[in-house]
Amino acid sequence: MAQAAPVAQPDVDLTYEVPEQVTLLSDAWRRLRRNRLALLGGAIILLLLIVAAISIVWTPYPTWLEAVGPTYQPPGAKHLLGLDAAGRDILSRIMGGALITVQVGIGSAIILSLIGIPLGLIAGFYRGRVDVVISFFINIWYGIPDLLVALILVFVLSDALHLIPRGVFVIVVAFALTRWMDMARLVRGQTLALREREFVEAARMSGARDFAMLFRHIFPNALGPIIVQATFAIPAAVLFEAFLSFLGLGLPPPTPSWGAMAADGYHGMDFAPHIVLAPTLALSLTLMAFNWLGDGLRDAFDPRMRR
Amino acid sequence: MSAEPAEPAVTPTHDPTLKKPLVRIEKLVKHFPAGLGLFGRAVVHAVDGVDLAIAPGETLGLVGESGCGKSTLGRVIVRLLPATSGHVFFKDVDLTAVRGEKLRRTRQQIQMIFQDPYASLNPRMTVGDIVAEPLRNFGVARGRKASQRVQEVMRVVGLNPNFVNRYPHEFSGGQRQRIGIARSLVLNPTFIVADEPVSALDVSIQAQIVNLMEDLQSKFDLTFLFIAHDLSVVRHISDRIAVMYLGKIVEIGPSHAIRDKPLHPYTKVLESSVPVPDPDLEAARKPILLKGEIPSPVNPPSACRFHTRCPIAQPICSEVEPPLEMKENGRFAACHFPGQL
Amino acid sequence: MHAVDGIDFEVDRGEIVGIVGESGSGKTMTALSLLRLIPEPGKITSGRILYGDKDVAQMTDDEIREFRGNDVAMIFQDPMTSLNPVLRVGFQVEEAMAAHRRFTSQQARDRVVPLLQRVRIPAAKDRVRDFPHQFSGGMRQRAMIAMGVSNEPSLLIADEPTTALDVTVQASIIELLRDLSRELRAAVILITHNMALVASLCNRVIVMYAGRIVEEGPTRAIFKNPQHPYTWSLLRSMPRADEVEKERLISIKGMPPDLARMPPGCKFHPRCRFRIDRCLTEEPPLAEVGPGQIARCWVLMKNVENPEAEALK
Repeated sequence: MAQAAPVAQPDVDLTYEVPEQVTLLSDAWRRLRRNRLALLGGAIILLLLIVAAISIVWTPYPTWLEAVGPTYQPPGAKHLLGLDAAGRDILSRIMGGALITVQVGIGSAIILSLIGIPLGLIAGFYRGRVDVVISFFINIWYGIPDLLVALILVFVLSDALHLIPRGVFVIVVAFALTRWMDMARLVRGQTLALREREFVEAARMSGARDFAMLFRHIFPNALGPIIVQATFAIPAAVLFEAFLSFLGLGLPPPTPSWGAMAADGYHGMDFAPHIVLAPTLALSLTLMAFNWLGDGLRDAFDPRMRR
Repeated sequence: MSAEPAEPAVTPTHDPTLKKPLVRIEKLVKHFPAGLGLFGRAVVHAVDGVDLAIAPGETLGLVGESGCGKSTLGRVIVRLLPATSGHVFFKDVDLTAVRGEKLRRTRQQIQMIFQDPYASLNPRMTVGDIVAEPLRNFGVARGRKASQRVQEVMRVVGLNPNFVNRYPHEFSGGQRQRIGIARSLVLNPTFIVADEPVSALDVSIQAQIVNLMEDLQSKFDLTFLFIAHDLSVVRHISDRIAVMYLGKIVEIGPSHAIRDKPLHPYTKVLESSVPVPDPDLEAARKPILLKGEIPSPVNPPSACRFHTRCPIAQPICSEVEPPLEMKENGRFAACHFPGQL
Repeated sequence: MHAVDGIDFEVDRGEIVGIVGESGSGKTMTALSLLRLIPEPGKITSGRILYGDKDVAQMTDDEIREFRGNDVAMIFQDPMTSLNPVLRVGFQVEEAMAAHRRFTSQQARDRVVPLLQRVRIPAAKDRVRDFPHQFSGGMRQRAMIAMGVSNEPSLLIADEPTTALDVTVQASIIELLRDLSRELRAAVILITHNMALVASLCNRVIVMYAGRIVEEGPTRAIFKNPQHPYTWSLLRSMPRADEVEKERLISIKGMPPDLARMPPGCKFHPRCRFRIDRCLTEEPPLAEVGPGQIARCWVLMKNVENPEAEALK
């Protein structure tokens, strides 16, 4: 065995080789910045958020009020987007609708994640019987026609059992309960892959308990795909709500949901197209924006760019 | 068959040349399910009955080619994988019988250095957090005391302690391996299993890490199990070497003795195959070329596993499995005809 | 960013030249350049690559395609990814010949089994119809070599041919390369980070660092009498399989330079134990330091007294 030898000298940090301080997040950000569509999407979403925030305290005309002018009035100086079938200011209602959209979208993403992420983590980490059970449920759920079930859920929770009043919350819950499996399946797959990585073995050698392994090691490294999934869930939720409201099964009138507004204006499409166009365009723009951003995020987080 | 031996054969765990062993591995077996074979469940015989003893303060090298089971053996010893059967005794405590919290506690004394410096560090944690994690998990130190310990151990492995807030991807392979070593040292362990710690590094960096490990061993009185496929590196750093083939240990002995006078034919083949950076020696070296391929661990050959490729195989080799027992002082081989190749 | 800067060397028929270097040394780029296989966005910015009297760098696309696989063959490191997993091995070997129209398709087909036997694949007749995944790593590499020599090339470039293989398999592949090069009377360029391989197989050695040749010479001279501190340190940093008592390895401190941010003067000076002031500002040219041996250094190991003591300080 070697006799006592001097410990290796510390690596001299030579000025030519100073590593640049760059975190994984800043690298992802840099890549995102270069994606024009994603930036456009991000800008639109930012606009959406700002409009939604403003609408809480101010709109050009209060959204819930009845008529402020003649019905079906086309866009003009006083009312930039015109008036709808009941004489209400469309611009103000669009703004109010923005708030609804944000609530539905983000609320759904959050609740869906709260259900799907822990289930996915547990299924992927423990495997065995737990995984069999959870995967079984995931597969069963996929077989369910989600729109139909969501409708039924809304009906049951609100109208039949009166558990949750008709409103944003019940829609969010119904949506999340029918689409949590996407998140769970994704997280399960990520967990299955990550748990084989050496740094997870190293964590076990460091004495980490299961909980620490899941939340300090596995979850943060699955964050990229999770964020992308959540981002894509938002337009799905928004579309869902719009669809329900269009059918008259969503938010109760006179809530300025964009879907409901499109429904109202449907009858007047021939002579007052602006009533349908405004909410439809707003909806389309929002959906596209989230999809662009989601695509951009997915590319930005792609580990294949690693050195 | 063979006549009854005059005295009972000595197995590696009863090696008289070893003072009280720190680690004793007895008949360790690890099988993996491999899907359905022709006659029921097929099984990968990754580790198939291993006996080994490691003395305190020594470096035991474990060599073998791909598929021999050395990495699996390392992981079973530290209980990252549960053993199928057999025992691992650490300071006379049976690790295979311990579970839950008690098992977690033993990790303070047994640590592991991993092969891939790029995959063994959590990319989302700062270097400081990575090295401090063991301290936090065992409640050994918190806050200021923890940072001090982290900086101290980083200095010891040759890393600039100012880099505690950097992320792993900002470092080179060699530096990341040092981080991994720092992490394994922070709890002051007694026994470290190093699984191919230098294989993924450039040659000039390998020397840095090998020197570092030698220094740390003498400074902190560590015991190493050094697993690798590179015989030159293993021989340089190890006191004794165990050679593995298809899930079994075929030879154990002091590093230089194994080279100068290998007992098991496989060891001799390995030694003859390793190129030496010296043109004159190379011109004289004649590698013994093995015929055939490494058999599948799902269906290993009967009796002596090496008999299908062994240049001096005899009929008995395919009928009776040679046990791993002491042939000369401190030298073990699993062969009916040791030293005859 | 210059991956390779000012490389200048020759290889003759029947010679086996080893290019040694670590990651980032530019050795693989050099090999890829010889066949104009540099991945985008890189490109050859200047210089000539003379094969006989044809300049590869100036060849048209058609000429280059003729050149590759016909006059020159390249064997890559990872046989798993260089073979098409959905095509039978025999077919791929046949394709390698058919692509160059040197043989008719019938001739190509007839040559496949003998080729596989020549690279010592056991039971070649049966294994012709196997898929790559049914071959072991060593056999896949042999199949690659078979494809490489199928058109009787006069130059064989092997880029880390045994790095992914076990040491016993490596020994047989190296033997195979040695025998084949003799049979084909081909020039062979072996690229590797493993100096021991070079000692066994090559007549001449080229040592690369940071995209440059830092030393070149006959194998014996390089190993017994290395002049460049990098070569010397590299040899001292390897544990010798024949060491008698434990000698401490002499490591090279620091890391190879970032090719985008190279130090001024000699590219090795930040890690060199023997540097002088001149090394920090002026890059030395390649100069003759012995019979057939050149090195790029202001100091040269022959001018250093007791280098071991210096290095162990």
